Amino acid sequence: MESLNIFIKSIFIDNMVFAYFFGMCSYIAVSKSVKTAMGLGLAVIFVMTITVPLNWLLNEYVLKGGALSWISPEMANVDLSFLSFIIFIAVIASFVQLVEMVVEKFAPGLYNQLGIFLPLIAVNCAIMGGSLFMQERDFTNLGQAASYGLGSGIGWWLAIIMMAAIREKVTYSQIPAPLKGAGITFIITGLMGIAFMTFLGIQL
Amino acid sequence: MNKNSNSYIIIYSTVMVVIVALVLAFASLSLQPIQKANQDNETKGAILMSIGQGMDAEKAKDKTAYINEEYAKYIIESFAVDSKGNKVEGADAFALLGSLKDEYAKPENERVLPVFVGKKDSGEKLYILPLWGSGLWGPLWGYLALESDMTTIYGAVFDHKGETPGLGAEITTAAFQNQFKGKSIFNGNEIVGISVLKGAGSSADNPNAVDAISGGTITSRGVQNMIISNLQGYAGFIEKTKSEDVVSSPQDEDQANLTDESTPDLPVIEDQSLTVRENE
Amino acid sequence: MSKKDKEPLFSAKNRKLLLGPLSASNPVVVQILGICSALAVTAKLQPAFVMAISVTVVTAFSNLIMSLLRNSIPSRIRIIVQLVVIAFLVILVDQVLKAYVYDVSKQLSVFVGLIITNCIIMGRVEAFALGNKPWPAFLDGVGNGAGYGLILIIVAIFRELLGAGTLWGYQVIPASFYDAGYSNNGLMLLPPMALIIVGIIIWVHRSWKKDLQEK
Repeated sequence: MESLNIFIKSIFIDNMVFAYFFGMCSYIAVSKSVKTAMGLGLAVIFVMTITVPLNWLLNEYVLKGGALSWISPEMANVDLSFLSFIIFIAVIASFVQLVEMVVEKFAPGLYNQLGIFLPLIAVNCAIMGGSLFMQERDFTNLGQAASYGLGSGIGWWLAIIMMAAIREKVTYSQIPAPLKGAGITFIITGLMGIAFMTFLGIQL
Repeated sequence: MNKNSNSYIIIYSTVMVVIVALVLAFASLSLQPIQKANQDNETKGAILMSIGQGMDAEKAKDKTAYINEEYAKYIIESFAVDSKGNKVEGADAFALLGSLKDEYAKPENERVLPVFVGKKDSGEKLYILPLWGSGLWGPLWGYLALESDMTTIYGAVFDHKGETPGLGAEITTAAFQNQFKGKSIFNGNEIVGISVLKGAGSSADNPNAVDAISGGTITSRGVQNMIISNLQGYAGFIEKTKSEDVVSSPQDEDQANLTDESTPDLPVIEDQSLTVRENE
Repeated sequence: MSKKDKEPLFSAKNRKLLLGPLSASNPVVVQILGICSALAVTAKLQPAFVMAISVTVVTAFSNLIMSLLRNSIPSRIRIIVQLVVIAFLVILVDQVLKAYVYDVSKQLSVFVGLIITNCIIMGRVEAFALGNKPWPAFLDGVGNGAGYGLILIIVAIFRELLGAGTLWGYQVIPASFYDAGYSNNGLMLLPPMALIIVGIIIWVHRSWKKDLQEK
């Protein structure tokens, strides 16, 4: 039940884009057409669903203060949490690299659709943000971490798809010249964010 | 040397990882005492604030020394209690503050919760109960100081991880926290906590309620839920201390009145809440 | 190192590296980089300022270090080396913030960690530091960090002033305004308004610099 709650919350309320502006760089750059947005969105969902639980395990059994006590009781005082940033980013970057190689080798078709987005993802703040929020919110079990990863990924996908659809239409509108492109995209995202705020307070 | 040969890459990355790890470990170890002191200061400062002490920390020349001095002066005892209100031997109340979340995750009868005992300038005891709950975006926590009758709130402080600035985050302001002074956590013999009601002024003559923050409904509700659910965890301790209090001072009412005189800054409402309790 | 060339430390070219990112090639409003985490800390001026300083320090030093290392890095592990250097600097910054400005570091929470994935830093290392000498690379880092910080601070000033009536935590809108019926606009403090303010800044900036307008 708690996991479901986290899942729904991370899609609609704590939406990566609208509430925290995560992954804005690729969000603005890639939301020009629905097709590419779809590719990047799916890649984000995939990578987040895997890396958040993976980092949760690392955090729980290696990094947290006292986390190493499973090796021997004397290790209970070791606190490696200052290393978490570097470990998280290393996990993400190497996972992305790994996926890229595997996909390229075994599914060239998929690679052509998705492959070009994968390197973009290593530096997508949404992915790193997912892991950092996982650490800060201190989820109690793997299931919660996984549903948070999946939910946040879907939330990001949803945001970029909607934005791309809107931008395809906006191309045909009369917009003041200085606002064209980035400017109007920011403002539309802001308005969408306000709309998403109406989901506040949903509790399952 | 060929920069793309495997051996070069391996040596390169090993050297880099070793250097990075050494520098980081050194930085982390050398800064840790200051960071720990910051955290302890913050916790002690919040505990003191709930009983209205240690308010000049920002003005103090040496903040750490000031807080520690005040803490030693006004916090006379700390211990941990189980769900029946019995003291647990060997538990460190201060260390327990860091793991409140884990304690609340346990079944009620296994919980060990910290209690701090402070005193007023007049020497009268105050019981400070740490609180832990969740708001809109993340955890909320705070300290609730009760008079020795275990009914009237002497003071309260709240803090949060990431509530919306200007809205939910207003729970940290004195304006919100001062409302709790003199309110009662009991309605009759039942622990009801404090309702956080919508609308300014709507709680004026209700001893069990305060005004919510406009625009911060979910955070306000979080505070309300946190208080009642945490107080239920302390129910055993509260009941026990309350009955001891009555036994040890048969003229309970006199003492309560004395309390009033020694703290003239409390709102008049305290009288009402006490009468409510006495009548029922 | 750059000591060998005759070029003065602040030659015209270097000054351009330092000052260009403040407006003409501003990383946020022109290159649309690094918006990611940053706007979430702009509800108040103080955290925005600390964030701006932190990002500038990290960009400047990651550029410097990567430029020093540029001839020895094996190209196959380039990206991961960059990430390690950046993460290393960010951890240092985080530890220092926690030790010396504890209150602000609490407000910044996860956003300090997110400096790692701030596209400006990776972008500048990749585009500039790897192909330039250390001193210009350092200036480029400072310039880009400052250009980013500038936008952060502008946004924070608007949001804090209109949303809470304060600046740096001090009340600036006099009480007489409130008595006359003025009230703070709570909407300004909510996340979406940061985006809308950036949108407006872009609008103003591009009306002024017409060559930046998109077709």
